[in-house]
Amino acid sequence: MSPRRLAALGVVAVVLAGAALAATRLDATADYRATPLLGRLAPDAHVTTLDGRSVAVRDLAGRSVIVNFWNTWCTPCRREVPALETFWSRHHDDEDIVFVGVVRDDTEGAVQKWVDERRWDWTIAMDPGDRTALAFGTTGQPETFAIAPDGLVVGRRVGEASVDDLEHLLTLARGQ
Amino acid sequence: MIARLRLVALAALVVLALVVAGRGGSGPTTDAARAAHLSEQLRCPVCEGLSVADSPSSTARAMAADIRRRVEAGESDDAIRRAYIAQYGSWILLEPPGAGFGLVAWALPIGCAVAALGGVALVLRRRALLVRAMDVP
Amino acid sequence: MKSQLGSLAVAAGFAASVVGIAVLGVGLRRRDTRLLRLGGRFVPIVLVAALAAAGVMEWALVTHDFSLRYVAENGSRTTPLLYTVAGLWAALEGSILLWGLILSVHLTLLWAKHRRRIDDPLVGWAMLVGLAVAVFFFGLMLGPANPFHSLHGAVPADGRGPNPLLQNHPLMAVHPPMLYLGYVGFTVPFAFAIAALVTGRVGEGWLAETRRTTLLAWGFLTAGIVLGAWWSYEVLGWGGYFAWDPVENASLLPWLTATAFLHSLMVQERRGMLRVWNLSLLVATFSLTILGTFLTRSGVVASVHAFTRSSIGPALLGFLAVVSVVGVGLIAWRADRLASPSQISSPVSRDAAFLANNVVFGGLAFVVLLGTTFPLLAEAITGDQLSVGEPYFERMSAPLGIALLFLMAVAPNLPWRAAGRDVLRRRLARPAWFAAGTMLVLALAGATGVAQLAAFGLAAFALAAVVTQITTAVRARRHASVPRMGVVRAAVRTFTGNRRLYGGLVVHVGVVLVAVALAASQGYSTKREVSLARGESATVRGYRVTYLGTTARRTPQKTRIAATIDVHRGGARVATLRPALSIFPGATSAIGTPSVHTSPVRDVYLTLVSSPNEAGRITVGVFVNPMVMWLWLGGAVMVGGAVFAAWPDRRRARTRGPAAVGTPPAPAAPDRVLEGAPA
Repeated sequence: MSPRRLAALGVVAVVLAGAALAATRLDATADYRATPLLGRLAPDAHVTTLDGRSVAVRDLAGRSVIVNFWNTWCTPCRREVPALETFWSRHHDDEDIVFVGVVRDDTEGAVQKWVDERRWDWTIAMDPGDRTALAFGTTGQPETFAIAPDGLVVGRRVGEASVDDLEHLLTLARGQ
Repeated sequence: MIARLRLVALAALVVLALVVAGRGGSGPTTDAARAAHLSEQLRCPVCEGLSVADSPSSTARAMAADIRRRVEAGESDDAIRRAYIAQYGSWILLEPPGAGFGLVAWALPIGCAVAALGGVALVLRRRALLVRAMDVP
Repeated sequence: MKSQLGSLAVAAGFAASVVGIAVLGVGLRRRDTRLLRLGGRFVPIVLVAALAAAGVMEWALVTHDFSLRYVAENGSRTTPLLYTVAGLWAALEGSILLWGLILSVHLTLLWAKHRRRIDDPLVGWAMLVGLAVAVFFFGLMLGPANPFHSLHGAVPADGRGPNPLLQNHPLMAVHPPMLYLGYVGFTVPFAFAIAALVTGRVGEGWLAETRRTTLLAWGFLTAGIVLGAWWSYEVLGWGGYFAWDPVENASLLPWLTATAFLHSLMVQERRGMLRVWNLSLLVATFSLTILGTFLTRSGVVASVHAFTRSSIGPALLGFLAVVSVVGVGLIAWRADRLASPSQISSPVSRDAAFLANNVVFGGLAFVVLLGTTFPLLAEAITGDQLSVGEPYFERMSAPLGIALLFLMAVAPNLPWRAAGRDVLRRRLARPAWFAAGTMLVLALAGATGVAQLAAFGLAAFALAAVVTQITTAVRARRHASVPRMGVVRAAVRTFTGNRRLYGGLVVHVGVVLVAVALAASQGYSTKREVSLARGESATVRGYRVTYLGTTARRTPQKTRIAATIDVHRGGARVATLRPALSIFPGATSAIGTPSVHTSPVRDVYLTLVSSPNEAGRITVGVFVNPMVMWLWLGGAVMVGGAVFAAWPDRRRARTRGPAAVGTPPAPAAPDRVLEGAPA
């Protein structure tokens, strides 16, 4: 085989490999994306709840924590609402579970109105300066994290979560 | 001889100009300049490939403020970068890291450039030898 | 009804392409001129079908026929007419339709030009390949990217309207068609390259057939890229014009390989060298246009430009694989015929300079391609996500850009084959001294940055070299004429006597302007954010900005808050600017519209970062960007040069008859005038 044909073969191989590679990416959707936080202690972040309490994420250790980043204007967040409500209706009596909705990039007034209208009874907290969102390494909203009772981050869901996704995260957060 | 002198003078002029322009170019020194420089290297996490410095989004502005705060608190550039890598992974850097798989992005073009230059030099050299051989009667 | 009409037109276009291919194929096999003629006639039928399809879509858009899903999603009653019409390319399906339309225009022009010579297998095959590409795009419209789907359920009273970002600047109406004219235009040289490979006539004939189309496609692509940068600058409000976004890179990639091709084809014409390379460049250019479409339209990479995910990805990917495998396979198959009869004789010659130019352009394309696809590659191989952004691209491309500037200054002054030292000195000494002087003056005047100064110096070098080259040629023509003609007349004669050379030099002048603008605006722009209460001012780099007040305007579509800001410099009023924020109901966050005062030396670019807070203070982004205007002017000069070079030459058009196909073109006289010039 001449070097030229060999080179041609090489180019064809590279192109086909690239195409195959891209093809595998075609159905990649929002998912349980890796984060460097996985397996590490949750960030030392403080949020302020709508009723004015300051909550340190690390103080929640000992319980299973689901942290959901959201806001009132983002479309996938709105689509996620039924899943959140169903999920919490199943678990809000469980003392070992903490469900926190951290607001990204929204105004307190809009959030208060939203929460009142929907009678959300899980903890909703504002995040001025995006400090918590940055500490968790979020790339937008919605994003949901699972923190185990030992304080380690054990799961992350990027994008709209279904009830099953939330239950899956809770399973992880229970350390099972 | 005169031609060569002229060439030397020309080169000297160019080098002089480059030296004059390059003085004081030892990187950003003030806090503001350091923060600005870091903001150019880190990506805005909610954008499509824009840097924190370039993005008008509120998250990028929050991140720029955080960088500024860290710089003013005396953290080194490297420490700030590491802090963000701890949260986001190397993804947060707009340049792939010079270690691990990121190295490929740097080594591959440089390797190709060296190979291309070497190849061209080889071809020209062989040709020059050939021409010389043919010149001999 | 429009849904059926449109689908019918698309189906007709598809069918005409398929039948055309079949007839041409049989005709080529049997060497039957009548069949070939017949096959060729299907090309204008494809055009008619494409025109009908696009016409139906525009009709539906303009009459707000929301029974079509595409119109319901991309049109609305409140959208101004311009953006309604531009709705054709506001989303995936429409842009594929535009692609098909432009492709059929190109193919019909090809057919009109060559239909008398359709019995020439080169022409027949080229048309067949062109129609095959058309089949693919019409097929997309029949399948995964059907623009004529009707809406299920009740017809809404109003549509969603185009993405807010796509309807706040008229450039949006021009930039995508320009880009597509360029992108799609490369189908024609690609078709000829494949035809040359299939027929085995890989000499220089096919080059001559496609030179003009290639030049025009390149001009359109250049215009599209520059207009895109301008749109980005005027609309996106981050103070820059090129973010190395995957879509921007996707338009840059074929431009780089096409630019390399425009140079190396001259080497092939002149010396018969680089045949494999040229064919490869064309296959690469066409593949890269498909790759670009794939990257941006399949949702594989995230980008500002990305349309929503669609099922078009696998189809494009498959087509890309077919195109590159067929192209590369054919080149390998014909390898024996592609050996060059001559070789580069000297490292200091125009041939060698062109070769170097191609290596650098190839390197640039490689870096951009690697950087664009690297995140995909990294994630597939290591599972980790990595980013490749502006700092990487700038660091990698700056040295290559500087090398290109140097070559651009030197190469046009080098003679073919070999250059003596005295030739070099005679032609380049003065430009070199001028460049060195410019650099020193700039450095002493306070210009900083080695890369910037090198760029300015090489730009001066290139500009002076072009000016020297032109004045020498004009003077020679004057001296040679009896009676001696005037300068203007001599200049016109010189330019029109060799459109390619002088058109090319004009393009180089455009590149010099662009290079200076890039270096200055990258190196010396200032960005500050200031918080102002009404009546307050702040000073940024000598510009005093004073906040006078805000106005809010509510329309059903959006709420627009504009701040009125006076800009003064040294006591004199420069401009009153009105940066704004628009809040679209249902959209994510507010979209800023910058307000720019442009001047030859520097732009003042204001953005409204946040509307008045409780205390009535606003935050304004103040950018002072030097010399950005020259980027747009340089782009215009480049396009002008390309058009000048591609303009039909009356003299040549008359002498070139049908018999010229397949034979090398008569060597034009690119530098006869120049080389004969008295020192």
